[in-house]
Amino acid sequence: MHIGKLRSLQRREFLRRGSALGLAGVAAPWALNLSAIGEVAAATSPTDYKALVCIFLYGGNDYGNTVVPYDPDGYREYQKIRQSLATARDALAATALTSRVPALDGSGARQMALAPQMGGLKALFDAGKMGVLLNVGTLVQPTTLAQYKAQSVPLPPKLFSHNDQQSVWQAANPEGATSGWGGRIGDQFLASNANASFSCINASGNAVFIAGQQAVQYQVSTAGAVAINGVNKTLFGSQACSDALRALITAPRSHWMEKELNRVAARSISAQSIVSGALASLTPLATQFDTSNSLGMQLRIVAQLIAARQSLGVARQVFFVSLGGFDLHDFLPDQHPGLLEDLSGAMASFYDATRELGVSDQVTSFTASDFGRTLSSNGDGSDHGWGSHHFVMGGAVKGGRFWGKMPAVAVNGPDDVGQGRLLPSTSVDQLGATLASWMGVADSDLSRVVPQIGNYSQRDLGLFA
Amino acid sequence: MKPAPARVGPAPAVLAAAALQACGGGASSGPGPVSGLTDAQVARFLAQAGFAATAADIAAVHASGYGGWLDQQFAAPLSQPHFDWMVDNGYAEFAHRFDFAGVDPSQWRKLIGSPDGLRQRVAFAWSEIFVVSMAGLPVTWRGMAAAAYLDVLEQRAFGSYRDLLEAATLSCAMGVYLNMRGNQKGDAATGRVPDENYAREVMQLFSIGVNELDIDGSLKRVGGKPVETYSQADITELAKVLTGWEFDGVSATDPGFMRRPMVHIASRFAPGAKKVLAVDIAASLTGPAALKVALDTLANHANVGPFIGRQLIQRLVCSSPSPAYVQRVASVFNNNGDGQRGDLKAVVRAVLLDTEARAIAFAPAGGRLREPVQRFVQWARSFGLQSAGGLWNVGDLSNPATRLGQSPLRSPTVFNFFRPGYVPPNSELGVNGVTAPEFQLCNESTVAGYLNYMQTVIASGVGDLKPDYSADLALAGDAVALVDRYALLLSGDGLSAATKASIATAVGSIKIVTDANRLSRIQAAILLVMASPEYLIQK
Repeated sequence: MHIGKLRSLQRREFLRRGSALGLAGVAAPWALNLSAIGEVAAATSPTDYKALVCIFLYGGNDYGNTVVPYDPDGYREYQKIRQSLATARDALAATALTSRVPALDGSGARQMALAPQMGGLKALFDAGKMGVLLNVGTLVQPTTLAQYKAQSVPLPPKLFSHNDQQSVWQAANPEGATSGWGGRIGDQFLASNANASFSCINASGNAVFIAGQQAVQYQVSTAGAVAINGVNKTLFGSQACSDALRALITAPRSHWMEKELNRVAARSISAQSIVSGALASLTPLATQFDTSNSLGMQLRIVAQLIAARQSLGVARQVFFVSLGGFDLHDFLPDQHPGLLEDLSGAMASFYDATRELGVSDQVTSFTASDFGRTLSSNGDGSDHGWGSHHFVMGGAVKGGRFWGKMPAVAVNGPDDVGQGRLLPSTSVDQLGATLASWMGVADSDLSRVVPQIGNYSQRDLGLFA
Repeated sequence: MKPAPARVGPAPAVLAAAALQACGGGASSGPGPVSGLTDAQVARFLAQAGFAATAADIAAVHASGYGGWLDQQFAAPLSQPHFDWMVDNGYAEFAHRFDFAGVDPSQWRKLIGSPDGLRQRVAFAWSEIFVVSMAGLPVTWRGMAAAAYLDVLEQRAFGSYRDLLEAATLSCAMGVYLNMRGNQKGDAATGRVPDENYAREVMQLFSIGVNELDIDGSLKRVGGKPVETYSQADITELAKVLTGWEFDGVSATDPGFMRRPMVHIASRFAPGAKKVLAVDIAASLTGPAALKVALDTLANHANVGPFIGRQLIQRLVCSSPSPAYVQRVASVFNNNGDGQRGDLKAVVRAVLLDTEARAIAFAPAGGRLREPVQRFVQWARSFGLQSAGGLWNVGDLSNPATRLGQSPLRSPTVFNFFRPGYVPPNSELGVNGVTAPEFQLCNESTVAGYLNYMQTVIASGVGDLKPDYSADLALAGDAVALVDRYALLLSGDGLSAATKASIATAVGSIKIVTDANRLSRIQAAILLVMASPEYLIQK
C-alpha cells in the first residue's frame, strides 16, 4: 500500500480545467459541483452536441468469421485455414461488401463480406454510415513483423491475456489501470457540461475505458437510474429511518473504502433524481429494440439518455456498452453467429434511434474487443489473437469503405505472429486520437487522451467526412 | 486482561440455550472461559472464517478458541453433496438435461443452511479462484456438471493444492468451461492446432499468474521490468500436453459420468516431446503421465504460494494485505511445518490466525468490501433462515439493478466477478494504487440494487425462506440494545458509537403500539446496520 503519493497529474489537469471554476482541491471528482460548473460552462462550451459510444465485445471477437474474405482467391485461403469453422461462401453473398473507394493499400482484388447474420450493418455500410477499420489492435509504436520477432521494439504488456488486453485496449495499461481513453476524452469536456457527472455513462459493468482522471463513470441500468427505495420513501414506515439511511450512506468518511462507497451512493442518489426526471419527460422512442438482446437494451437506454441531453445538461458524452461471450475456443460455429446477429441488430436499431432523434451526425459508435483471434482452427473454435477488424458507425462517418491495411489471409503470412494472429497495422491509440479529434479535443491535447500518440505520424485515420 | 463489552444480547431461545451451555452456564458477560476473547472479537473472526456469527458459533469459539474451532470445522462432516441432492430432488431427470435447475437451490442450501461454515466460505472462495460458471457450460447434463464441480471444490477445500488443481482440471465442468474436453492433437493436413484455452488459464488464473513473484507477492523485476512467467510458446506446448481428454462414458440417460474425472484417449494425444516452463516432457510419456509432469511443474512453481495465498487473503480478510502477511501465508503454503507443500488446511489457518487478520484494520485502506453474496448469506444465517419446503428457491441474484449483482457460480467469465488486481478509479484508492477487488461490482446501480433487495428480503424473505424475528421482539422495545445486538452479530461490533446512536435514535422513533411496530424496528435496525459503510467495509 502506498499512501499519500502526490497526485501531480490529477492536480495539474484539474487546475488547468477547473481554476476558472473556483473549485478547491482535487479531493473528489464529484466536487465538480453541478451548479458551479454550469455557471462558467458557457465560456468553453461547444454549442453543439456530440457523443461517442464504445461497444465492447468481451472475450475477443473472432475477426475471421466477422469480416470474411469473399473474392474467390481470398475465400479459398480462408476456407483452407478455417476448415470446419468456415462459413459457406454462398451464405455470404447477401452480405458481401462493395467499397465506395478502392482500397487505400492497393489490395483492390480483395472483397470482404460481413457474416450472414449482419444484414443490419451491411445496410449501414451501403448507406455510407458504417465502415470497417482493418486490423486494429494494441501497440506501443508502429511495429513490423521483423521487429516483433526480434522483440526489438516495445510491445504491449501481456499480449493474448483477456483481462490485461481488455485493459490495454481501454486504458493502455494492464489490469489495475485507473483511467481509460474514453474517460480522458470526458476529462477534456467536464467544464463544457453543465452536469459534469453525466459526461461518462456506463450501461454495462464497471470498465476502466470510461473512467477519466477526473471524469467519473456514472452507471445506469437498462431501465435507467435505479432509485433507492428506502431513501425515496419511508423505510419500514419510518421517515426518520429513511433520513438515517440517507445520512449513513452519504456521510463523508475518512477510511478510503468507506469514503468511496459513500461517494458512489451519494452520486447514485443525486443523479437518480435528475436522470429519472429527464427520462420521464421524454417522448417514447418509436424505434424498436429487440428486448431479448442485452446489447440492444443497453443501447436503447443510451439513446434515451441522448434524447434527454438538454435536461441532463451535457454537450459532450462518452458511453460504454458491452456484449459478452466471444471467447469461443469451442462452439464457435454454434454460438458466434448469434452474437454477431445481436451486435448487428443492436447497432442498426441504435443508428435508427439516433436518426429518429435527429442526432445521427452527432453520435459515433465503434466496436472494440480484448483482441482478435487465431485464423487457425483448434477443431471447434479459435484461440486468443491480437489485431482485429472493427466497425465505426454514425452519420458523421465517411462509411461504405475500409480503412487501414488489409491483412493477408494466411498462416505464417506477412501479418501473422502465429496461427493467424494478426500483428496490428493500426493502433488503438490512432483510433482513440481520431475519435477524440472528432469530439473536439484539440490536437495539442491528444496526448492527454492517448499518451502514446506521439509515436505515430498519422494521428487521424480519416474516418470522418 | 481488558474488560470486555457485554456479551451478545438476547438471542433466539434455542441458540441462547446453546450458548449458555457451551460457555459453562451463566457466563453472560466477560471473556469466554477458554478463549479469553470478547464477543466482538469472536464475531469479527467468524465473519472472516465463515459467513455469520450465530450465538451458537460465538459460544463454540469461546469454548475452544480460534484454533480449536478451526480444527472442529476442518473435521466437521460434509453435508449432502450437491450432486446427490440434485438426484434426490428430481434435477437429474431427463427433462433437466439442458438446464441448470437445482444448482442455485443446492448452493443456497449449503451457503445458508450447512453447519460447516468455514468449509462453505472457503469453498465459495475457491469457486472465485478456480472459476467455472453456469454462463459457459453448453453441454448436456449441464446442471449435473455444475453440481459435481461444486462438490469437487467443497470436498477438496482443505486438502492439498496439487490435488485440488488436478481434480478441477479433470472435472467435466472445467473440461467444458475451458475446453480441455475434446481437445485433440494438431492435424498438419487441415492446419488444426490444439485448443489453448485451458493451457493459458490454468497458468494465468489457477496456479502461477502472469508475472514472476517474490515470496511476499511483490513483482520480481529485472532491469526495472516485471518478468513474465510464461510465453506464448509455453502455452502452445502446454496445449499439446492437454490433448486427449474426454468424458468418462457419456450417457443420455444417466448423468453419473459428470462426477467422474475425465479419461484419456491416447489416439487424440499430441505426439512428440513437449517443453513447458523449461521442463522437458518426453515423447515417451503417455497423456496422463505428461499431465502429471505439467501439473507438478505448475504446483511446484515458486509463484503459487504468494499468488494463491494473496487471493485467499483477499477473499477472507482484506483487499490489500501487507507483503509480510502474504509472505507468512506463502511460507506456510511452501511448507506446513511438516515439510508438506500446498497443505490448504495449514494455509487457511495461516490466513485466519495471522496477526494482520486478528488485529482490527484501522489503516485507511484496511479491510475489504464485503461481497454482495456474503452479505446476503450472513443475514440469512444470522437470522436462522431455513427453507420451509426444502426448495431453497432463492434463485439467481445476478441482476445488478434489482438483486445483488452477484450470484454463486454465475461469474460472467473465468476472470471472476472481480479481479484481484482491480484498483477503483477516481478514488483515494486509485490515486494510491490500492487493490480493492470487490469494488469492481460497486457502482450507482448496484448500491441501490443491494439496498432495495435487502429491504425486500429482510421484510418478506425470499422464496420459501421466511425470516422469523419473533425471538427478538422482546428486545425491540430497547432500540439501543437492539442496534447493539445487530451491530455485534453482523459487523463484529465494527460500528462506531456515533453510528450506532444515530441508528438507534431513528429506530427508536418508531412508536410501539403493536408487535408490527416492534417488527418494523427490527427490520429497520437490520437494514440500517447492513447499509452502513462501517459494516460494508469488513475490517
